[in-house]
Amino acid sequence: MTLLPLVHDGLLVGAILFALGLVGILARRNLIVMFLCAELMLQGIAVSLVAWSRQHGDWGGQMLVIFVLTVAACEAAIALVIVLQAFARTGRLDAAAWQSLRESNLPRVIDHGLPAPDTVAPRFPRLTPAGVLPEQDEDEVLHREHV
Amino acid sequence: MPSSVATLLVLVPLLPLAGAIATVVLGRRLGPRAHLPAVAGIAGAAAVALLLLLGLGRETGDGHGPPRPVEMTTTLWEWAGIDAASAGGTAQVTAAVTPDGAASPQRRFSIPVTLRLDPLTATLLVVITSIGLLVAVYSIGYMHDDPGYPRFFALVAAFVFSMSMLVAASNFLLVYVFWEAVGACSYLLIGFWFAKPEAARAAKKAFLVNRIGDFGLAVAVFLLWLTYGTLDFHDTFAPDGTLVTAGILGQERLGDAAGIVGGAVGTAICLLLLLAACGKSAQLPLHVWLPDAMEGPTPASALIHAATMVTAGIYLVARCAPLFVASPGALALVSVVGTTTALFAALIGTMQNDLKRVLAYSTISQLGYMFASLGTGTLLGFTAAIFHLVTHACFKALLFLGAGSVMHAMGGVIDMRRFGGLRRVMPITAATFLVGSLALAGVAPFAGFFSKDEILASLHARGWPDAHHGPHHEQGHGAGAGHAFGPAAPNGATAATVAPVFRLVAASPGQEAAPSGLDALDSPGTFRLLFWMALVTAGLTAFYTFRAVFMTFTGPTRIPEAAAGHAHESPRVMTVPLVILAVASGLVGWWLFGTHTLASFLAATPSLAAPSVASTAVPPAFHLDLALQGTLAAALGIALAAVGHLGRRSDGPQMERFLGPLGTLFANRFYVDQLYAATVVRPLQFVAHVAAGFDRSVIDGAVDAVSGLPGAVGGVVRRLQSGLLQRYALAGMMGTLIIVLALAWQLR
Repeated sequence: MTLLPLVHDGLLVGAILFALGLVGILARRNLIVMFLCAELMLQGIAVSLVAWSRQHGDWGGQMLVIFVLTVAACEAAIALVIVLQAFARTGRLDAAAWQSLRESNLPRVIDHGLPAPDTVAPRFPRLTPAGVLPEQDEDEVLHREHV
Repeated sequence: MPSSVATLLVLVPLLPLAGAIATVVLGRRLGPRAHLPAVAGIAGAAAVALLLLLGLGRETGDGHGPPRPVEMTTTLWEWAGIDAASAGGTAQVTAAVTPDGAASPQRRFSIPVTLRLDPLTATLLVVITSIGLLVAVYSIGYMHDDPGYPRFFALVAAFVFSMSMLVAASNFLLVYVFWEAVGACSYLLIGFWFAKPEAARAAKKAFLVNRIGDFGLAVAVFLLWLTYGTLDFHDTFAPDGTLVTAGILGQERLGDAAGIVGGAVGTAICLLLLLAACGKSAQLPLHVWLPDAMEGPTPASALIHAATMVTAGIYLVARCAPLFVASPGALALVSVVGTTTALFAALIGTMQNDLKRVLAYSTISQLGYMFASLGTGTLLGFTAAIFHLVTHACFKALLFLGAGSVMHAMGGVIDMRRFGGLRRVMPITAATFLVGSLALAGVAPFAGFFSKDEILASLHARGWPDAHHGPHHEQGHGAGAGHAFGPAAPNGATAATVAPVFRLVAASPGQEAAPSGLDALDSPGTFRLLFWMALVTAGLTAFYTFRAVFMTFTGPTRIPEAAAGHAHESPRVMTVPLVILAVASGLVGWWLFGTHTLASFLAATPSLAAPSVASTAVPPAFHLDLALQGTLAAALGIALAAVGHLGRRSDGPQMERFLGPLGTLFANRFYVDQLYAATVVRPLQFVAHVAAGFDRSVIDGAVDAVSGLPGAVGGVVRRLQSGLLQRYALAGMMGTLIIVLALAWQLR
């Protein structure tokens, strides 16, 4: 059978997904994006499992994928709760905001080379209002049928 | 030994030991009565020692006929015993020379705790315990306000125990043990007020200088073991009466002409014993500790550094008399060292302004006299030395206790230039001190006169050997002046001249006929010089003693501010011992010499009854010519002291003005301390600094490096833990990558 190229492609896709997820989780600092990359890693593994299951003709692989998806969903719930709590505590979604578990004699990692924050509020152009306001049914304004 | 005598003999050291232990345990609780156990123990020991002396005196007879040696030993237990067969096979316990001729390869190493009783031991035990008792009673008053009151009495009792065991031990190793013990007690007593830096330094100096002598004694003990195969003084017999071991100073060996080894080994042993005696008895060159030891309490100085501990060296040489007689060179060196020290110390004593220092140098000088007498090697010499030991113990302890009485009243001031005319303030102290000074100066009929006369006689007999056994001597003896003091008719060997006997005795197996090296010292010429030195020293002794007496007790009464208010005579508990000692100083010499009790009593000691020593016996005689010379020297000394220091002149710097630069030399003690500091102390301190630096930088550095290694490693690893989530994740991923690569490498 010439299913081999198919398995190869499947494994390749899975590997690419996994690699992208891995690099993302290591490189990005936004907690939600880090979570998304973790999900991406899981999906990469799932694709690889499907490919192998197709290769060996064993449904077990695809059943494991169902488990993986279930676990990913539960983990998503917990992870997003953690991210929300982290945001509530520090007001930032930056992973680098949490450094208090470092060794006591190491300095805090501070970002360098950041662009200076804008001190001046951006000036938006003021456009002359043009056109006609749409007609409004008074009755409908007061008593809307649908929200 | 009859068991009753054995019990009594064991009680003599045991009672002070029990007193010391009781004082240590109960001292704080007894408060002002903390002296009771120690004084009771020493008093009991003194009574028992006196009983033993009287009993032994009855045993030795009354001096008629040649003295037969009397000794009794009792073995308490065996302290160390190593069987020759079980000594690992390679240990050599052979003896080079045994009296039975054949060298026996299998000899058992045995150190029994044996106490002995013979005339020498009995005499010294009485001296030690009675002076100890008087000093302890005196200390009740002297140390009254001291916070270390119980400690003092514990130490005095411990000292009396150690010294009693030293003179009663019948084994060289035991003597060494108690030699060290008295040194330790001396250290603790000199440094009694240890918070005072001078006292601590003086105690350290005393101990270190003594240690040099102890080294000599240790090596001598080793050599004695190698030469004789045993360390016992006494002979050991099996139950059936056969001889098991012939002691080094036992009657079996001493009766044998070749029993004592002479030659190089014998001389080496005697020189090492002399070194030990110099250390303990403060002779040149190891005399430097005794003047500094005056930092200790005065009763301790009286007991240890005047009467008892410093006489341990005299005891050792007297006990080993047969060994010394077999090495005439070493014997003559003993005399040379003693007389030189006597003169040396007397010169220094003339320039001292501290009353206790004058007495310290006087002690060194008188000990030198005793060594001079021991070194003559005749029975007269040995007995004269012990006689002088006994009389010196009486009057020197008296003088020291008197100085303590003065110091107590003067509020701790002891510089003679700061007080004067004290005979009006302290009459009893002044009177007893005067008696002691007369005895020290050798004025008849006080104790020192007779003993010094005997010493001068023994030196004279060696310097002019023919003069003592020609007709001149017989006439001098039979004439009226000497008659009242000696026995009616001489018994025994008068005809035997001294000089040929020495040639006979000195020729030990390994020696050539012509004396060479050290033995060249053993000649009449040497002893003539020593005799004149001793005579000059007698004059100097009288001079510095009476200079001290006049400066302290005569002249206008001056009291230093430190004593204002309580300059008065000492309490009875302090003056009664002074009076007792003054009576003893007055009578002891007369009694012991007049009846010749001591000389004939001591002649029954096995060491002194050995044929090599006893054959030099001469009939006891009173040498009028020598007595006159001695008295003349003393009178001259006293007169010079009076000219310089009596009455109105009792506080001035007459000596400094008179002697000038020579006086500065004497006052600085011939710069011996400075010499030792430059040649010995500073190099050793330098080596100590180098060693300390090495210890700090190299050894401590290595240990610190080893201890710092985990810290350093940790410091490096610690930087992995940054608290950043992504860095942890990165670390985990890198680890996984490495494992996957390794796996792939394995499976390729």
